[in-house]
Amino acid sequence: MNKYEAVIILNPNLSNKMESFMKDFDSLLSNNSFSILKTEDVGRRQLAYSINSHNKGHYLLFNLEGDPSKLIDIENKIKYNESIIRHIFIVVKQHNGEDSHLLVESKTKKKEADSEDNPVENIEVKKDDDLKKIKEVVDTESDKASENAEDATVSDEEVKDE
Amino acid sequence: MSKYELPKSFDYKDVNILKQFITETGKIIPARVTGVSASNQRKLTRNIKIARFLALIPYTDMHK
Repeated sequence: MNKYEAVIILNPNLSNKMESFMKDFDSLLSNNSFSILKTEDVGRRQLAYSINSHNKGHYLLFNLEGDPSKLIDIENKIKYNESIIRHIFIVVKQHNGEDSHLLVESKTKKKEADSEDNPVENIEVKKDDDLKKIKEVVDTESDKASENAEDATVSDEEVKDE
Repeated sequence: MSKYELPKSFDYKDVNILKQFITETGKIIPARVTGVSASNQRKLTRNIKIARFLALIPYTDMHK
């Protein structure tokens, strides 16, 4: 028996058929005497580069336990499943019980997206602050510019004197 | 003090930590620059390569 970590990237257009895929995958694993210890549905995520002209992928993470000799059969089945655009099985010594960084990241992003709907006042305040800052910057810059101009005239005069 | 944040164990899913050790073009930064120990550099390299395969970080900046 080995412990595995599996990552599967699904075709993002088939996100709606997730449940049926999960059922199929469950039965595929259990037929090959694999047991699922943990499932993480990370959801759609931007790919760092396009795979088969997909720019997004639906990430699924699994913690598995099973027999290495059966893994080949599973991989052979996965290879010809067109809804899976990439997969990997990694042998691990021990499963880390915590949520993966990918799942945590996607959850925080969702929270941010939800909270962005409400606070309108805060944004206005920020805009005011920005305007103030811009004004300050403009003022200081114009001061500097005038000083520079004065310097320039002075130096010109000096040149003329010489 | 090292300016790099090293975790207890490297994880291919922790993209933010791995991104510290690749250049803007996606290359792995050599250990002689970052000061990572040889054994940590091997683990790091392995995890970066897995993360690249899973499209979590790019191989290069020339991807279309």
